[in-house]
Amino acid sequence: MEYFLIVISAIFINNIVLSQFLGICPFLGVSKKISTAAGMGIAVTFVLVISVIVTYALQTWVLNPLGLGYLQTILFILVIAGLVQMLETVLKKVSPALYQALGIFLPLITTNCCILGVSILVSNGNYPTQGLEPSLLVGVLYAFATAAGFTMALIIFAGIREQLDTVKIPEPMRGMSIALITAGLLAMAFMGFSGVDHGIASALGH
Amino acid sequence: MKYFKTITDGIFKGNPTFVLLLGMCPTLATTSSAMNGLGMGVATMFVLICSNAFISLLKNLIPDGVRIPCYIVVIASFVTILQMLIQAYLPELYRTLGIFIPLIVVNCIILGRAEAFAAKNNVLASLCDGLGTGLGFTLALTLLGMIREFFGKGTFFGTEILPSSCNMLLFVLAPGAFITLGLLIAVVNSIRKNQA
Amino acid sequence: MKKLESNRLNMAVVMTAIAVAAAGLLGWVNSFTQEPIAQKSSQADFDAIRSVIIGDRDIEFTVAPAQERNGFVFHKVTGADGRTLGTAVKSTDPNGFGGDLTIMVGFDTEGEILGYKVLDHSETPGLGAQADEWFRQPEKTGSVSGSKLSELIFGAPSKAGSHNIIGMNPADDVMTVSSDGGQVDAITASTITSKAFLRAVNAAFKELFGYTAADAVSGASY
Repeated sequence: MEYFLIVISAIFINNIVLSQFLGICPFLGVSKKISTAAGMGIAVTFVLVISVIVTYALQTWVLNPLGLGYLQTILFILVIAGLVQMLETVLKKVSPALYQALGIFLPLITTNCCILGVSILVSNGNYPTQGLEPSLLVGVLYAFATAAGFTMALIIFAGIREQLDTVKIPEPMRGMSIALITAGLLAMAFMGFSGVDHGIASALGH
Repeated sequence: MKYFKTITDGIFKGNPTFVLLLGMCPTLATTSSAMNGLGMGVATMFVLICSNAFISLLKNLIPDGVRIPCYIVVIASFVTILQMLIQAYLPELYRTLGIFIPLIVVNCIILGRAEAFAAKNNVLASLCDGLGTGLGFTLALTLLGMIREFFGKGTFFGTEILPSSCNMLLFVLAPGAFITLGLLIAVVNSIRKNQA
Repeated sequence: MKKLESNRLNMAVVMTAIAVAAAGLLGWVNSFTQEPIAQKSSQADFDAIRSVIIGDRDIEFTVAPAQERNGFVFHKVTGADGRTLGTAVKSTDPNGFGGDLTIMVGFDTEGEILGYKVLDHSETPGLGAQADEWFRQPEKTGSVSGSKLSELIFGAPSKAGSHNIIGMNPADDVMTVSSDGGQVDAITASTITSKAFLRAVNAAFKELFGYTAADAVSGASY
């Protein structure tokens, strides 16, 4: 039950892009076409889940026991950068087809703040767990749901932007300006989901 | 004179927020009030100046092959130092900026300036570039924060100006961030077009 | 000086040197910021206790060491004459808008609320965060009332209800939001935050005194 609520809340209510403002750069940058948006979404999901597992393990079994919490930022960003590099090499060897599809997005992911952000949040146990104890399983579920929310927002946004191309827009508003305003309207629509988790919880008698 | 131009370029012609459109996450997330925007801007400026100066100093010692990881380590160190200092001496700011302090590491402006400017120029010029870009970022964030705070809460740096019944809460919420920045960029675009 | 070549040895040496230097630097900064960080956090607790029990009064007081019970933290505050001034309770509700909402609330010996402070929240910035002010403001009467259109767009101005909880006593007053049959008006557009806040107050009171008036009234949604 709580697991279900974590997923619903991470995808719709606290959407990583539209309400937490993480991962805005790829959200605005690679959202011109639905197909690239989907590719980016899948790549982010892949990297996010793996990096959350690795960073959680590092935090729990290396940094915390040694009292080196202050090295968190530096270690995590290096781990993520290394991970992305490794993934690229492995993908190239194991599945050239997948590499073809995701390869161009991988280098962009290192500086995607949604990866580092979610890794830090999960390692610090600082995310909505719906009352569950933060653990690796809950963290991974949260990361996966977050990435799903990112992918969904990205695809919807790309869909809207494809339509925008056919519209006449006042000149100063072309490009990023209208994209941001569209994102604002999308964020407003997503605000309509707020409270849904509480509704589901009470409907199911929690 | 040349250095002065480097600084003003960072603020106006190459403004990171309105012109280069970099570092959008903190720009949108931390500008719910003018004070928060200013805090985030100054924090980023600190890291930008330090990392620019340092990377320019070390540029000949760093082999090209490990350039990016080295830059990231330098940037991440300054971010962590900043994080510890803020936590120790400005706990209120630490609470409001939260996760966005460590995330300065992945702010594309900083790595971007390191790669595009500091790696090619001397220390003094890199310092000026860091200062200029940092000021441009700070100004943009503060302006955005001021607008959102004024319409959303009716206050100016925390001082009440409009009664609370005139507040448009939308502005301090997530959609307000996107829309305000979108409109500001449109304004900047039309100004730049008129000048050109 | 010429740029170092990108051969394997150079790269490994430089990378390691930079990483070690960075770790050393951070360790050094950490060694002298650790103490202020710990100090600031206990100072923040002390300030919160003072603000919820003493407020603006200029009196001498002492805070007894913290006691923990069922997830609540109690600080008993005594005046200079040894009389108990009240108890500050740190209370967390897990179901705020974005997760935990932690407050400090001060009760006098009769259970009357002396003050409160929101310590930590993950509510919408600017909206849920209003809780820090909302529940202590006297209700607004006759302030600029919006026209119909502005009401439609910006939300109605707060009606002349009561959202000031200072001076209320959870033993006598039903401290839930008005839509649940209680006596407190929710923050405009932040019912979930308001409910979480009041739950935290009631839970703190209940842990301290064993009973709240809200128990008798509300059922399901509480």
